Amino acid sequence: MPRALVIQLARLGDLLQSLPVITQLHARHPETQFDLLCPSHLADVGHLLPSIDRVLAWDGAAWQRRAMAAQQGLWAKHLVEVDATLMTLAPDQYDCAYVLNQHRRALVAGFLLARNVTGPFLHGPLGETLTPWAAYVRDVAQRRLGQRVHLADAFCGLCGVTPPGRVVTLDPPTVRLPDDLEPIGKHGDPWIALIVGAGETERFVPTEVWRRLLTSFLTSMPQGRIVLVGTERERAAEIQAPLPSSALGRIWDTTGRTSLSQLAVILARCDRVVGSDTGPLHFAAALGRPVIGWYFARARVHETGPYGFNHVVWQAEDMGGETWPVDETVAAIREQGHHAPVGWSVWTSHCDTWGAYYSPAGQSALPPREREGLWHELEPALS
Amino acid sequence: MNCLAQNLEWLRKRYPELVQATQESPGGLLTVVPSREGSPSATHEGRWVHSAYDPREEAQAWAKAQLLEWKAGELGVVLGVGLLYHVEALVALKPQGAMLVVVVPNVAEFKDAASTRPMDAWIHRVEWLWGTSVATAEELAERTAPLRFMTYGPGARLHVQAHRDLEVELRRIVAARQGGRLHVAVVGPIYGGSLPIAGHAVAALEALGHRVSWMDQSPNKASYDFFASYREPRHRLTMQSRFADVLSLGVVTRLAEDPPDFILALAQAPMNLAVLEHLRKKKFLTAMWFVENYRHLTYWQQLAGGYDYWFVIQQASCIEALKRAGARQVNYLPMAADPALHRPLILSVAEQAEYGADVSFVGAGYVNRRMLLPRWLSNDWSFKLWGNEWEGASSLTSVLQQGGARIDAETCIKVFNATPVNLNLHSCAGDGLDPEADFVNPRTFELAACGAFQLVDERSLLPELFAVNEMVRFTEATEVPSLIRAWLDDGLGRREIAEAARRRVLAQHTYEHRMKELLATIGMHQPDRIGAIVRGDRNAGALAQRVDAPPEVAALLSRFPPDQRVELKDMAAQIKLKGAGHELAREELLVLMLDSYRAETRDLV
Repeated sequence: MPRALVIQLARLGDLLQSLPVITQLHARHPETQFDLLCPSHLADVGHLLPSIDRVLAWDGAAWQRRAMAAQQGLWAKHLVEVDATLMTLAPDQYDCAYVLNQHRRALVAGFLLARNVTGPFLHGPLGETLTPWAAYVRDVAQRRLGQRVHLADAFCGLCGVTPPGRVVTLDPPTVRLPDDLEPIGKHGDPWIALIVGAGETERFVPTEVWRRLLTSFLTSMPQGRIVLVGTERERAAEIQAPLPSSALGRIWDTTGRTSLSQLAVILARCDRVVGSDTGPLHFAAALGRPVIGWYFARARVHETGPYGFNHVVWQAEDMGGETWPVDETVAAIREQGHHAPVGWSVWTSHCDTWGAYYSPAGQSALPPREREGLWHELEPALS
Repeated sequence: MNCLAQNLEWLRKRYPELVQATQESPGGLLTVVPSREGSPSATHEGRWVHSAYDPREEAQAWAKAQLLEWKAGELGVVLGVGLLYHVEALVALKPQGAMLVVVVPNVAEFKDAASTRPMDAWIHRVEWLWGTSVATAEELAERTAPLRFMTYGPGARLHVQAHRDLEVELRRIVAARQGGRLHVAVVGPIYGGSLPIAGHAVAALEALGHRVSWMDQSPNKASYDFFASYREPRHRLTMQSRFADVLSLGVVTRLAEDPPDFILALAQAPMNLAVLEHLRKKKFLTAMWFVENYRHLTYWQQLAGGYDYWFVIQQASCIEALKRAGARQVNYLPMAADPALHRPLILSVAEQAEYGADVSFVGAGYVNRRMLLPRWLSNDWSFKLWGNEWEGASSLTSVLQQGGARIDAETCIKVFNATPVNLNLHSCAGDGLDPEADFVNPRTFELAACGAFQLVDERSLLPELFAVNEMVRFTEATEVPSLIRAWLDDGLGRREIAEAARRRVLAQHTYEHRMKELLATIGMHQPDRIGAIVRGDRNAGALAQRVDAPPEVAALLSRFPPDQRVELKDMAAQIKLKGAGHELAREELLVLMLDSYRAETRDLV
């Protein structure tokens, strides 16, 4: 049986946005066994991906330690050691590696672990020329142009397949929650997961703003429950500190207490997931939960909005006014329509043959023409 | 057969001279006493050499601690003998194939050990080095493996001088053989006496072939002076201290951009403790050459634990004080001269007239100089005084040159060369000669390097630097006039002494000598890092010759000149030169992978 390795060494959001390409690769090559190489701390998420047979955990910290040792004097023993590590990870070479990252180390990993590599660069491990799709992804990342092809679909283009044209979801894992968190998702309606932090401080929503959102939601929906998720316990404590007594027993603080698998279980039990941290938002979307995202700083809805249907994203157009879509988000949860405060636009998600796209909320879901044009331009054979 | 005979029997074939010397020794250096748990322990002059409770357990702990540092391929060298419990423990724990040498400074102690404890299970698994410090050093220096010294403190205490001699001798040999190229960052002060010394250190390191990143802080002097203009002393100190902190961070930023193998700071360098601790966490090696009198400038107390290595111009009490304050490694490294700058000059008639006098003194107006110099003026000789900070010294006004302006190095050298009798009086806070006269100032070496004759106040550390026929010293202020008179009349004698002193400087006391010694010292303590580089083990030729070098790596190394130091990043750069479209060998890909992480390892700022 042919064996292929998908290499995704970036962050949680990137791994989850690799779901469409993995699905399509498997559909295109049903006879091939697909394995995944991902950062070791994301291995649990890798195991959830359908079509993936084995997950190879890449221990970046260990590599950094080895590099430090080799920097102080490169001896053959260092090469022997790293070679042994790779042999343990993958005793047999893969027939093919699909490299989704543009970092050189991902490409080198591909050439170390596989005989053939499909990746972002042409002409081997030292190539500098980007493939058309890789150049597109780099342009989007560097120039932030609204090109309208979603990153997850661009991954498909990078690997020579078209988008799946449907939404593929993950099954939540069967792991136990701590006993005190077990009631989450039961006895109440609706349950909202709020992601309190973000991977980068520039994407932090002020705790005072989250507190307003919580108060407004709990006041307007007496049966509503809030689950605070993420790793930032202090931020969660700040959000809850001065809440009114009516909030007692309605907020479940899980911050800093859950593994990624347990987080998946919690997200899957909630009716909606709200936040600005794109990684957990993608996780929730992949688990089939409707997501409300606040996109600002470098986050762009058209390229990295949650993949699928019925997600809502408020995109900051001008943050000068320090206005946040608090009331608008509560209204959306209550299904009272989508409105945009000054400085923001609001979008809802869709999916078709050319992949995911977002259209202005409240308007007809016309797919943007640029996408199809881009597919024709970048991959004429596919179109 | 008794214990001694049995032990010696194992050694007889390989070490006949050691066996014979041991048999002839009366022994008895140690007093053997039973420990609480029953096994023999020992004392020397009332102090325990091994644990009074359980020598074996103590030895186990010591041996385990050594294994943390002892790298594969290094030759372990044990200092400290006692009853050899610690050596036995180390032999039991050492990795297979690891070589171990025990230095035996005194056979009487070895006889005590061999008479007390059966060693037949392990005695033949150790090499025994016995003889003078010079012979031992020469034998160790012949080994190709890096040396890892392991000191068993309670035992080594008996032979401090022998071990020091061994280290000095080994350092000398290693210094003479240095062939590798280091990258050294030198951090100088904002201003002051150590600033020119930092410059000399930079020049010396470069002359030795090392790459130097000179972090000159003197351009910041104007800003530093500006902060001194605040009237309120508290404001002044706060601003200057904060400014020094900013400069400290500036140093770190430059280090991050071009990480060196180690950092050499000169006294007064703006490196605060927080920055030093941060650098240690990031595995940078730091050294301080403290070219100050530790009794006068005491900021070393706050920084002692911050540097990995201290080099000082004073001995015993200074070294002890630094160690008490938390310094891990303290070594004596005296001042020196730079023969490219401090040199004999042929002066024009006009220069001779301008800078010459029968007697001259160059230096700042410290209290003791203000008190003593007037006593050395005379109608029998002309006298010129050069330098600054002489305000208010009315009895010297007539001889003070250039209105007491600070004079530059070139002018100093012209004065030295133009003067038959140069006075060199070490500064001190008292009103006479320095009562704690130990270190030798830079002026001593600079005058000597210029081939200039000098009368210098006696220092306790002077005899080991210059012989009596190389330098004329005085121990009482009252001696000086008669010495001036005598030596002014003896031109030939002056020349002989001055030339001998210059020869001595060129042979032993240049900044190149000092930097070699400094590197050798650090190299001995860091055999796997600085030591390996200094020895040239990281040069392309040496790396390629290693038996474990894979053919692909050897081929890669062959593209570098054999004497060029090659690091991971160099290998990666060489591989990248192959360019797009080329297939790479597995080893080459592994190098690229490691290099991609290397670029992220020094997230300093």
